[in-house]
Amino acid sequence: MFSIKGRSVLLFLMCLGVAYAAVGQAPSTTTPDLNGAWGPYRGGRGADPRFTAPPASPIVLKAQYAKAWEERRAAATAATQRGEPLPTNGALCVPYGFPTMMSVAVYPVEFVQTAKQINVISEAFSEVRRIYLGKPQLPADEVPPGYYGRSVGRWEGDTLVVDTVGIRENVQYQVVPHSDQMRITERIRLVAPNILHDQITIEDPVYLEKPIVYTLAYQRLQNYEMVEFVCDNNREFVDEKGVVRMKVREK
Amino acid sequence: MFASKWTARCLGLVFVTMIATAHHSFAIFDTAKTTKLSGTVTAFEWTNPHAYIEIDVAENGSTKHWSVEMGSPSILMQSGWKYKDLKSGDKITVTLNPLRNGQNGGLLIQATLADGRVLGNGPGRGPTAPAAAATPAAK
Repeated sequence: MFSIKGRSVLLFLMCLGVAYAAVGQAPSTTTPDLNGAWGPYRGGRGADPRFTAPPASPIVLKAQYAKAWEERRAAATAATQRGEPLPTNGALCVPYGFPTMMSVAVYPVEFVQTAKQINVISEAFSEVRRIYLGKPQLPADEVPPGYYGRSVGRWEGDTLVVDTVGIRENVQYQVVPHSDQMRITERIRLVAPNILHDQITIEDPVYLEKPIVYTLAYQRLQNYEMVEFVCDNNREFVDEKGVVRMKVREK
Repeated sequence: MFASKWTARCLGLVFVTMIATAHHSFAIFDTAKTTKLSGTVTAFEWTNPHAYIEIDVAENGSTKHWSVEMGSPSILMQSGWKYKDLKSGDKITVTLNPLRNGQNGGLLIQATLADGRVLGNGPGRGPTAPAAAATPAAK
């Protein structure tokens, strides 16, 4: 039925199967490899416009919350213009949490990918989030609110789709308030061999009139070694007027 | 290669982009003013969220002390800094944006070290990194 050559090929394939079984599982030939460090990929000189992030959607809160949010933003802007910035989590060395941690200034993020789990580590503040693959999501009210919530992911072809619930209410994107019903969906995909997009959609039936949708673009940093970031020498403090100051040493 | 491209792009950013999501607002510093100081290093703190240079500056027969805020070590490495570049007793000249409240502190723009090297303070602040130091990721 099989020629000698055919039997050899069959034997080789069987041995390959045994070898894969011996190490636990066969590596997927289609799952994209996200491992490694990724830095922001921004527009401007030298950037390929096909791979820069598209514009973000406008932030539209429900009418009863929009005015207060706009007033808070205006107050923060005015305070900054006076040189008296208002305190933020970051200024107090409190982690940004998700989703802000995915894009902090020029700091990279690192993906550590296995078949069952992907961890994302932000260099700024060494924040870590864990994405569990192939697990069902829990009802939002069963997830204790935290800085990173609970994330589960699945591969849809070449796109990693991640669902996150359980973000605590003081962890806010663009100081937008949210409820415990907020849900964040990411679609993470290599748009080129070394360019990664993370499209983030924030939905909240309590506060948001429309979902907030924005995309982060990253480029692979070959051989980059993440730098330690422990916030143990924070000289910024909040003074009696409630504004951020810097401690100056006497000598 | 991507690391060097990444670094080049980062260095091309205006500093405002960085501070928009940085550890804190830099509005406490007066970016319209520049102060130049020459003095003696009393401490170099390679720490997060910021590194600091402490400097004694001789002025009219007395000594004034200044605290100079820098970027984080990660950002400084992109400008060519190394954690052993300064030690107590080194002579240094810095330009900085002073604190708005008049205290002796500021945000570094660039530093001239005793060996003549001129180092900046991350993207858009002072000179870019020397070629060898511009790609901390490259091995």
